[in-house]
Amino acid sequence: MSAGQTQPLFDSAFLRKLDRLALLTRRAMVGDIQGERRSPRRGASVEFADFRPYTTGDDIRQIDWNLYARMERFFLKLFVAEEELTIHLLVDNSASMDWGDPHKLTYTRRLAAAIGYVALATLDRVTVTSFAAGATAQLPGVRGKAGTLPLFAFLQRLMPGSTGDLAAACRRYARLAHHPGPLILCSDLLDPHWEDALRALGARPFEITLLHVLAPQELRPQLDGDFRLLDAESGEAVEITADLETLRRYDESLRAWQHQIEMFCHGRSINYVPVDTAQPVEEFILAMLRKRGVLR
Amino acid sequence: MSLLTPLALLSILAIGPLIVAMYLLKLRREERRVSSTFLWRRMVRDVEANAPWQRLRRNWLLLLQLLLLLLLAIALARPFFLTAGISGRNLVIIVDRSASMAATDVAPSRLDAARQQALTLIEQLPEGGRATIIAAGGQMDVLAASTTDRRQLNDAIRSITISAGGSSDLSQALALAAALSSREPDSEVAIISDGNVRVPPEIRVPATVRFFPIGRGADNVAISAMALQPGAAGQTLFIQVTSYSPSPTTRRLDVYLDGSLFNAYDLAFGPDGANDASRVVVTDVPAQVQIAEARLNASPGTDHLASDDVAWAVSNTGAGTTVRIVGPGNRFLETALALLSGVTVTKGPLTAAAASDEVALPQITVFDGVIPDVLPAGNLLFIGPPRSTDLFSVTGQVDFPALRPVTTEPDTQGTSLLRNVSFSDVSVLRAARVEPGIWGRTLVEGDGHPMLLAGEREGRRIVVLAFALQDSDLPLQIAFPLLMSNIVAYLAPGSGVEASQIVPGQPLALVADPSTTGTRVIRPDGRSATAQIQAGQVIYADTGASGAYIIEQLRDDQVINRRRFAVNLFAPEESRIAPAGELSVPQVSGLQQAVTREQVGRQEVWRWLAAAALLVVVAEWLVYQRNGLAYLRQQLRFALATRRQ
Repeated sequence: MSAGQTQPLFDSAFLRKLDRLALLTRRAMVGDIQGERRSPRRGASVEFADFRPYTTGDDIRQIDWNLYARMERFFLKLFVAEEELTIHLLVDNSASMDWGDPHKLTYTRRLAAAIGYVALATLDRVTVTSFAAGATAQLPGVRGKAGTLPLFAFLQRLMPGSTGDLAAACRRYARLAHHPGPLILCSDLLDPHWEDALRALGARPFEITLLHVLAPQELRPQLDGDFRLLDAESGEAVEITADLETLRRYDESLRAWQHQIEMFCHGRSINYVPVDTAQPVEEFILAMLRKRGVLR
Repeated sequence: MSLLTPLALLSILAIGPLIVAMYLLKLRREERRVSSTFLWRRMVRDVEANAPWQRLRRNWLLLLQLLLLLLLAIALARPFFLTAGISGRNLVIIVDRSASMAATDVAPSRLDAARQQALTLIEQLPEGGRATIIAAGGQMDVLAASTTDRRQLNDAIRSITISAGGSSDLSQALALAAALSSREPDSEVAIISDGNVRVPPEIRVPATVRFFPIGRGADNVAISAMALQPGAAGQTLFIQVTSYSPSPTTRRLDVYLDGSLFNAYDLAFGPDGANDASRVVVTDVPAQVQIAEARLNASPGTDHLASDDVAWAVSNTGAGTTVRIVGPGNRFLETALALLSGVTVTKGPLTAAAASDEVALPQITVFDGVIPDVLPAGNLLFIGPPRSTDLFSVTGQVDFPALRPVTTEPDTQGTSLLRNVSFSDVSVLRAARVEPGIWGRTLVEGDGHPMLLAGEREGRRIVVLAFALQDSDLPLQIAFPLLMSNIVAYLAPGSGVEASQIVPGQPLALVADPSTTGTRVIRPDGRSATAQIQAGQVIYADTGASGAYIIEQLRDDQVINRRRFAVNLFAPEESRIAPAGELSVPQVSGLQQAVTREQVGRQEVWRWLAAAALLVVVAEWLVYQRNGLAYLRQQLRFALATRRQ
């Protein structure tokens, strides 16, 4: 959709609101360089972490002399390390996302931009990866407020691809990612192998949040009559006679599928957040994501 | 099954492909691009796994439309079954409504089955066909005369009811049917009956006669005779019970006297026609008994005709007939009259004083060989009149007349006077040549001159026997007492044991007391009615229901005369209910005389097909509107759910 490229993703008022938010992590994760996120490593912060007995080769500057005076033995005083965190944004830009009103991919762009902006604002590192045949792109990693413009530009340039193999893309990403950290997957999961995809990501210690983006036309299809439905990705056709009964069955099937995904995510401590693109993206971020414990 | 207009089936070939083509055109589905068919495939897979026939669902409309086309095309082709029925355009339906048609061997009754059959025949009547409905049995009724109005015909058929006393004589009905069918070609006469009918042999029906037999069973036991007569000790009750069943059977006979149970008899019967098929119960009953009632009890389903299972007899002790004989005296005459029960005979010359004395007036005066100057009031019997009177003239003498009964059409007077009497071997020496007035009808003639005359004039009944008893051997014949009994019954109606027994439908008649000012009839059901007084007789005609009737003559609200009558169905030909499968009716045209069922009627079935087509239309509409129906159901469920909260 070309409209998404020319329009700014957000206005400044909304960005100011985003400044007040931060990405929540449930556990400390290892980063690359020093940052503002608490790391499992010991390092040089002001926050005391532990004592340990001195061994040869340790930095004598870290010996706690007060403790030596009391115990007459050398102990090192350890501090919590604070490192930067890499936020992984995975954006599904397969053809199935290029659909819907409000447009799913546009919505996802803004969602990813908002989350990325929040991450950058808290000096985290953000990588964005899109996967779709013919439109795979990666933003290798940006830090700080300075990274906002490249991030937004990348997202605005993001074009819908043709077919997308969600499972293969996730498997590849899990294999290649350097520092597992919070991972936010924005996808509609309209893929028979969505379970494989989530399982592949779950193999690495990512802290996964799944934003399951569906358009209102998918959640509540308004069809009446005989239709030949063409798949946007594969071009396959399904003939249906849409009546209330059929729609009721579709609704049942959809709910069962969503429930299945939720259960699957629950079992792998993946944070599952269903997204209806009918809901304004600002409202969704400020209210829904906070409620679901993604942002703070 | 055959088709009247098979060409209509071509419409299937014409319209069928059109429907399919339109359906295929309509089936060009709208293409719609969706994000993914993943969910839809998932849904379709679920549905098709649940119901293999689900694939057919989308074709329901097509199938229903094709079915509709098929039904309508076949209906247009007018299929029919050949049934026993009629094929003519002018139909005369004779429905037997005699007492035997009340039998219940065909549920609910034979008459209902006959009515149903008649309705079916009317249905088979071709467009514009005319029909006449004749109800035969008892009085013949033409209920609908040569009409094309089917509603009128159907109403007429439904209005047929049992004629309780009706005999199964088809002669009148067949004569009318013959007259009707001779007027129009392509006529048919349908006789719907159980076959227990009399067909006059001399009739020739100028049309096809078809017989539709009704009835299956023959099990029936009837009370065939019952009488209450003065006996040695009080009265004697005679009951004759006859079995018409083809197999041996048993019944219990309950006898009620004046309403209370008197005795019960267990009777065993042989098959119909055997010697022991008939049982007689004779018992003495007290003298004061006035009404005796006998009832036959049968276990349900073993007796098909109920109307002959109950009978009544009445006692009329003390209400006798007085007969005065004027003449030189004849022992035969006196003996014959004295033998009749309830008859008091007086003798003596007629004086002028006696003739004018109304109180002592006898009901019957017999002039045996004499003619008075002044005829007395009351009914008269002249035997061998020597000279003319005001009523007839005697012009001479006939020698050795050969007696021959005059065959007239069945007539109550004639038949009742000559009942059981044969004049064939009666020899007469000489007789008076009597020239009757217009009142008299000749019942027996000899050489062209009336020998026995009967008639009514000025409210009195008169019988003239043209020869003196001593001039013939009639008194030596067995016919004589019977003839005297008949004559007395005729001249004094409503008297005697015989007279108090009548069949349903026959009018009650008795001599009216001259001073009577009013009458009252107490019917068996307890209701009161009024009888007519006409020409010196009290007549009451509404005797369709059997039972005991009481006729009271009133003078200023005082009962001066009370007579009882028993109305019983003593008719062996009606009680013998075994149906006949064939009926022999002579016809002008055909060689065949016995006409039975033939498969010529056409039972068209297009109505059923049209009804089925209507149902299919409804079904198609429901299928087409299933969205709306589902919506309604949803709304209903929603409304129920909210109410429950």
